[in-house]
Amino acid sequence: MSDPVGEAKLEVKQASKEVKESENVAEKYSAMTVSKNSEMNMGELSSAFSAVPTHKPVKKQIQFVEDKQEFSRFPTKAGRRSLSRSISQSSTDSYSSAASYTDSSDDETSPRDKPQVNSKGSSDFCVKNIKQAEFGRREIEIAEQDMSALISLRKRAQSEKPLAGAKIVGCTHITAQTAVLIETLVALGAQCRWTACNIYSTQNEVAAALSETGVAVFAWKGESEDDFWWCIDRCVNNEGWQPNMILDDGGDLTHWMYKKYPNVFKKIRGIVEESVTGVHRLYQLSKAGKLCVPAMNVNDSVTKQKFDNLYCCRESILDGLKRTTDVMFGGKQVVVCGYGEVGKGCCAALKALGAVVCVTEIDPICGLQACMDGFRVVKLNEVIRQVDVIITCTGNKNVVTRDQLDRMKNGSIVCNMGHSNTEIDVASLRTPELTWERVRSQVDHIIWPDGKRVILLAEGRLLNLSCSTVPTFVLSITATTQALALIELYNAPEGRYKQDVYLLPKKMDEYVASLHLATFDAHLTELSDDQAKYLGLNKNGPFKPNYYRY
Amino acid sequence: MAEEKDQTGSSWDDLPLPDKYPEPHKENRVGLNGEAEEGASANPVEESTKDQSVKCSPNLLQMLKAAKSWRTAQGRDREEVSESETEETVAEARKTDMQIQFTDQKKDFNKRLTKTGRRSLSRSISQSSTDSYSSVCSDSSEDESSPRDKLQKNSKGLSDFCVKNIKQAEFGRREIEIAQQEMPALMVLRKRAGGEKPLAGAKVLGCTHITAQTAVLIETLSVLGAQCRWAACNIFSTQNAVAAALAEQGTSVFAWRGESEDDFWWCIDQCVGAEIWQPNMILDDGGDLTHWIYKKHPSLFKKLKGIVEESVTGIYRLYQLSKAGKLCVPAMNVNDSVTKQKFDNLYCCKESIVDGLKRTTDVMFGGKQVVVCGYGEVGKGCCAALKALGAVVYVTEVDPICALQACMDGFRVIKLSEVIRQVDLVITCTGNKNVVGREHLDRMKNGCIVCNMGHSSTEIELASLRTAELRWERVRPHVDHVIWPDGKRIVLLAEGRLLNLSCSTVPSLVLSITATTQALALIELYSAPEGRYKQDVYLLPKKMDEFVASLHLPTFDAHLTELSDEQAKYLGISKHGPFKPNYYRY
Repeated sequence: MSDPVGEAKLEVKQASKEVKESENVAEKYSAMTVSKNSEMNMGELSSAFSAVPTHKPVKKQIQFVEDKQEFSRFPTKAGRRSLSRSISQSSTDSYSSAASYTDSSDDETSPRDKPQVNSKGSSDFCVKNIKQAEFGRREIEIAEQDMSALISLRKRAQSEKPLAGAKIVGCTHITAQTAVLIETLVALGAQCRWTACNIYSTQNEVAAALSETGVAVFAWKGESEDDFWWCIDRCVNNEGWQPNMILDDGGDLTHWMYKKYPNVFKKIRGIVEESVTGVHRLYQLSKAGKLCVPAMNVNDSVTKQKFDNLYCCRESILDGLKRTTDVMFGGKQVVVCGYGEVGKGCCAALKALGAVVCVTEIDPICGLQACMDGFRVVKLNEVIRQVDVIITCTGNKNVVTRDQLDRMKNGSIVCNMGHSNTEIDVASLRTPELTWERVRSQVDHIIWPDGKRVILLAEGRLLNLSCSTVPTFVLSITATTQALALIELYNAPEGRYKQDVYLLPKKMDEYVASLHLATFDAHLTELSDDQAKYLGLNKNGPFKPNYYRY
Repeated sequence: MAEEKDQTGSSWDDLPLPDKYPEPHKENRVGLNGEAEEGASANPVEESTKDQSVKCSPNLLQMLKAAKSWRTAQGRDREEVSESETEETVAEARKTDMQIQFTDQKKDFNKRLTKTGRRSLSRSISQSSTDSYSSVCSDSSEDESSPRDKLQKNSKGLSDFCVKNIKQAEFGRREIEIAQQEMPALMVLRKRAGGEKPLAGAKVLGCTHITAQTAVLIETLSVLGAQCRWAACNIFSTQNAVAAALAEQGTSVFAWRGESEDDFWWCIDQCVGAEIWQPNMILDDGGDLTHWIYKKHPSLFKKLKGIVEESVTGIYRLYQLSKAGKLCVPAMNVNDSVTKQKFDNLYCCKESIVDGLKRTTDVMFGGKQVVVCGYGEVGKGCCAALKALGAVVYVTEVDPICALQACMDGFRVIKLSEVIRQVDLVITCTGNKNVVGREHLDRMKNGCIVCNMGHSSTEIELASLRTAELRWERVRPHVDHVIWPDGKRIVLLAEGRLLNLSCSTVPSLVLSITATTQALALIELYSAPEGRYKQDVYLLPKKMDEFVASLHLPTFDAHLTELSDEQAKYLGISKHGPFKPNYYRY
């Protein structure tokens, strides 16, 4: 902490993070409270779809909120969607990776206005600074280390070039991990044009590295709303190049093409969509009978869901708490509110470190599971006076209220692992008698008149996005799923996929998992012919019926 | 597989009832081999069209066969357990036969698209329907005359029952009282619903294992207003004392331990008692009672308000009937409720694997190298329990998703042959066959323990061990040493049958979950408004499932949080549940 430069840098980094989050997460979810119960009807939706996006963040976010609600109520035909209460983390990417290294370049001219040429003379791209390509290449190489599934996919499928002839337009976060995906697609024979799905998340040097290798990338960190749509348009609208596949995260690209280039849209062979929002929009479109191409929902694959919730939270809860508070867990009394996938992960991690864990739950089935797993099921009020840490992961609102905060003991930590920042009633803490003191970034001490301090992390926002990172391995699962979905849609025989939204076939899901097994040096047993016959299964899967709970 | 497919193909409806059979088939069926099964299954399809009106002229053996072929695998396992050593060979032969059939049924069952789509792939059999063997069974009474021939009267002068010895009632009552201690949910249910008598007017016909735990259920139903008549679903599982206690209290029970096949059907027939008493609900375990009424008393069957079925086999038959359009009453599938599935597999196996191994071998787990074959619900339970005791656990798996789960839970995923030379313990729970073959057994080290937690006894290739050069030595009940010519010993448990049924017990809490689910299913079916349930097979509504769970929470002194109105509105769910959508994985 003695290094003022470092501190300043950290400050900048944090600040930029703050902005991002308040744009992306906080507002999104605070909007949720307002629009929560307003029923979304088709008219509203189509207007949302047709509206020319001028005030994008707010508008889109509100829509997202409603979307989400509707979405969870929506009976899918496949029926195996899991109730993901936490938001899709893989689609949110790791904020704290190198993204902000290049913030210091104080180049004021917009990349749109600069003529750009890469070393091969191509100028069909638009990034912040093409000279950063070499640095970006190193970033990509680091990411490749932990994304061995994609690398092995390259090796396995490189000779067949299953994507030969595919012209893919993509709109995702542009990070080192995405770059590995894009380069995999290229290695498999596809031509790619890419743009960013978030105006803050682009790693400029990675975008430069991609441009240098000939991928047409239109993205830089800190785009304006206008830039955002300009980039998408440049990406799609290219003389002599008609895209035939879409890889989307959030549905903006799909929406743009649907509205602006209906003729091109009709000729698309398939859409692969990753986010909850985008998938919901696709379902709505499909319900309205306006979806004229097959779409693949990769958000709800088993592997992705398990990794986004159970495994990811199991790791990041400890990381997030340690980074922010340096707390020691052994013997500490912890209350975890909610025992869904996220809650199960948190409890397992904390128990392993010797914490005394209690659970609060509303659902008797989950409550009974908690009992059987050895956790006391209590009401928050019963233990609030003695606990050291409270973690919320219910997806509900006002789970921890002012009344309870008043009764907590000095020095207790309050944080949120659920998807919205409504779980802790933070607003009730903004009263004159309480003093807020920011002791670190993301860490606030709230001081009661009698001197009692409660430590609030990330102002009640999702802890693992604010104070921890999403591991590359989790992103690898998503990226591999996307790549396979593209291959499946592109190579499917005519008629296998109609104009509807599909879940990735279970076999593909299993293939994604199998590609990641190599990382653990895990050796799968193969069924003998005899055994396969006995079980009535194909030797190569799928191994479980669709309703299997895992 | 051809003949097995045939067996599966013949629906429940086509399964032979004893009296339809001409003599010659009897011989076939005695053969007890694959061919015989084929004959049996191929024939009824033609036979079923024949006139059925012949009144009970029971050809006993055929009856026996017919009944046997419907019995669930675990029922059979259990029969073998209870049978004495001398009957071992017969039992063995029968088992093979029936297991094959079971597997087929199961498979088909799994393949079928259920309308609700939330059935879990239960690879282990339903354990709660198997009850606890090791609880007190009073088979010491050497009375040779069949209870059928004895005049029986309880202290109130009633004689509408048939048990082994009514004098044991007092002893049975104590058994029931012990069971009540561990089945708090049913007791709570009595208290909560006792006032309103939700089953008033219900005439419940039951066919389950008759044990102390079932008795608690039966008496709960009585307290809730129902009249009950009960028969046993298994000829060996009845606790005579408990049956006597029930009869003493006025429940018409027709069951004793060690019934003959003829007795079995006689009891069911007595239980139905068509003239004097018209049942309107059925509680069945295995589908025998349902089948009997469907075949013998079609007019009664039509007037039923509902069927509650517990076993995999029975459910399968109901689905077959429903598919054929012949199910004319609503039926409730309690086997696939979330709570029951989780308890039967994950939690129950987590406890019984350690118990079963300790009881049989007194092994110490710390530092031992263990291979668990299969990482489904059962495998997850076994791994967690063994890891907690400090064992080094390896997993073999065929499904990459489950394998990845094993990796993330910290288990090495390997092929069996890679570690077979160094492991101390091999546990199978795949539901597959020949997972541990002779070649593996040959390479195991001295003293290695081999056991099976999967549903069938096919997982370990036993036949390959019955060769001349290997010596079998029975060292304890359920524990065999198999000795190689060079002196190496392998410890084989329960001859490859399901370990936790053979060498451990099913906890009362697990049975309590099942019994509570059954009671609620009966209430739901009985009191549902006209039209809510059509003529189909239903899963218990999620809300009921949640209610079952909530009734068991006081056991753990667990306090559920209640949603505030505001919170319920925010989540868009009712304050009282259901809290999760149907597709939730738990």
